[in-house]
Amino acid sequence: MQNRQWQNRFSFKALIVLALAALLISACAPIAPAADSGMEMADEGPVTITWAMWGSPAEVATHQSVADAFMEEQDDIVIEILAEPWGDYFTKIKTLWASGDSSVVPDVLFLSPIVNYASEGVLENLDPWIEASGYNTDDYWPSLLQYAMYDGSVYGFPRDIGLEVLYYNKDIFDEVGVPYPDDTWTWDDLAAAAEQLTVVEDSGRVSRYALGMEGGKWMIWVMQKGGMALDDMRNPSSCALNEPGVVQAVQFFKDMIDNNYFMPPANMSQAGGDAAVFQSGQVAMIIQNASRVSAFNAAGMNYDVSVIPIPADGHRASAAGGAAWVMSALSDNKEEAWTFLSWLQSTNGGQRIYTASGEILPALQSTAKSDAFLNSGQPPANRQAFITEGENARMGRIGYFVEWSQIGGSFINPGRDQILIGEVGVEEGLNSICEQVDAFLEENGFPK
Amino acid sequence: MTASTSSQSSLPRWRRYQPDQQWEAYLFLLPSFAGFLIFVAVPVVASLALSLFEWSLLSPPEFVGFKNYTQLLSSDMVFRKVLVNTFYFIVTIVPLQLAFGLLLAVALNQGLRGLEVYRLIYFMPVVTTIVAAALVFQWFFNRDFGILAAAIWEFGAETGIPIRPPDWLNDPDWAKPAVVILTLWKNTGFTMVIYLAALQGVPTELYDAAKVDGASAWQRFRSVTFPMVSPTTFFLMVIQMIGAFQLFSEAFVMTQGGPANATLTIVYYIYQMAFEFQRMGRGAAVAWVLFIFIFIFTLVQTRLQRRWVHYEAGGES
Repeated sequence: MQNRQWQNRFSFKALIVLALAALLISACAPIAPAADSGMEMADEGPVTITWAMWGSPAEVATHQSVADAFMEEQDDIVIEILAEPWGDYFTKIKTLWASGDSSVVPDVLFLSPIVNYASEGVLENLDPWIEASGYNTDDYWPSLLQYAMYDGSVYGFPRDIGLEVLYYNKDIFDEVGVPYPDDTWTWDDLAAAAEQLTVVEDSGRVSRYALGMEGGKWMIWVMQKGGMALDDMRNPSSCALNEPGVVQAVQFFKDMIDNNYFMPPANMSQAGGDAAVFQSGQVAMIIQNASRVSAFNAAGMNYDVSVIPIPADGHRASAAGGAAWVMSALSDNKEEAWTFLSWLQSTNGGQRIYTASGEILPALQSTAKSDAFLNSGQPPANRQAFITEGENARMGRIGYFVEWSQIGGSFINPGRDQILIGEVGVEEGLNSICEQVDAFLEENGFPK
Repeated sequence: MTASTSSQSSLPRWRRYQPDQQWEAYLFLLPSFAGFLIFVAVPVVASLALSLFEWSLLSPPEFVGFKNYTQLLSSDMVFRKVLVNTFYFIVTIVPLQLAFGLLLAVALNQGLRGLEVYRLIYFMPVVTTIVAAALVFQWFFNRDFGILAAAIWEFGAETGIPIRPPDWLNDPDWAKPAVVILTLWKNTGFTMVIYLAALQGVPTELYDAAKVDGASAWQRFRSVTFPMVSPTTFFLMVIQMIGAFQLFSEAFVMTQGGPANATLTIVYYIYQMAFEFQRMGRGAAVAWVLFIFIFIFTLVQTRLQRRWVHYEAGGES
């Protein structure tokens, strides 16, 4: 009873007073930054470019050394780094853009996938800048620049090419007595070696798998067989995963898992990811990009790399993609942002520093073929494998349109899981994926 | 009551409580009310409007009417799977959590020595960070190198029985139970503590009377304990059901919604839609469907409680 009386007395007037007070408080907030930017305008000095990226502390340290090198070369531009962990970065950047306030949006950013942002009009079209400065875009790996293009224009410069190679643990190969992989290896050679490298205990427990690979990289096998996810990766009209080549590729992948040659991808991520299981000897080989080199070198591993084995009737098919540097369309200092951006993506500038750090396979062929990459004096010895894969890079691993993330996340990846677990047959599973993807494409008005 | 009135009249007039003078109270409420308004009320209303738009966060929203809702309910097969998953988690987690919580509370209410130690042990998971716990459980469940699997492999090797540990997080049939186990481990301590408080409020005379009447231990539990704690059961049921509807972190960290969307929950789907697929409007629509579900379920429970919840009239309160 007491409660009810109290509620009645809680008048609407009081509520309104509270609401107004709250609004006043919230309205105060934006006034302060406006005054700040006014102050900056009056200040005549070097222009500050905000440079945003994600990264681990070690990666951010490399970015900082790149910024320092740039600032040492000239006095007109100051680079300020805005670094966030991968998990928060994209939400933060989107929120900054949504605010529409050019004083808080970074001028140069690290982004992926580019098309999602370019199609929203928040990125600067780089074509006019390239033309005016004569920047050489032919130096990029084949198809790589496609990754950062939208509607026929370049909107970003991939920093590196995220193509994979086969890492192998030489100690395990020596112990088992299997010859090291080379350019001639086919899927059959891979399976034959895997049979010897895998260790299954009497109980049935697998104590060593031959090969580990993140589940998302399954498209390697599909593309080596000439397959693709969609008939057109920019503007699809139908799913292409029910082609015979794709069926064979997925069957190969599934057989490898069923024979215990291949560590199931979910098990691998639970066990700490490919780097962890490779370093601990739980797998003898992994398929991954150049990002693991510095960690394996730091751990002093006895390893090398090779090109990825291909089917006898197939071809090499590396993914031409990599996160790219872009310029915000909202930037107040585009001239300076371009100066920095083009310096970043030059063999004498940022590319060399990143390559020397051992974290990337550079996007520019001239950098990759320079001593900074090929003769760094560090393992792996067979760096030519990266060059060979790079020369065979092609698009097709991912879709270059906004809805791709939903097609992959809602239909293709769960469907692939179902096939690999054995809930459905390979052909049946691929057909079911295609039915869902086709329905989605139709519902969303593709082809556009 | 009389004591407080007499102490009031000894105060000077301006410090005396006056029922019609409450602006101070509103003033004290202001900080939390402003916070509520800015961070809860306004976004909630905004999300309702947002659910009628297609918005990628970067370009201006585009009005689409009820399309987000109609597509969701008519053609979205993933959403259907998400509903089934969420229902699975509700019907497993809620009853199990209540049963284990009550069981533990009854056990700890027997006047054991070192009661505080047990209470601490069982309550510890509740204050553990879910992300850390989920990562540890991920290791725990690993088929090849996890400790649970290792024990089963070892058992099989020793006894010669060809037993294999389930492929917990790779197999859709086992991934759901894995999430249930983690959730139970995490939350049962909370249920237990609330039940323990309720049990300590049950008058011992009732048990004594039942004993005199010759009631067995089970009958005493069935006819005294259970009805006496039924208001607590009701409270926990509503809270846990809402919690199960909102299951997210466990699946996000341990299974990433997989395998094959087997552990994708409604809240996870909201997150996917809004932040992975960049469809804020569609995400908001899912959120509102979730709200309606929780609202209806809570309403039904409130109606049904009259049949089984026993409120003790009078008593100390």
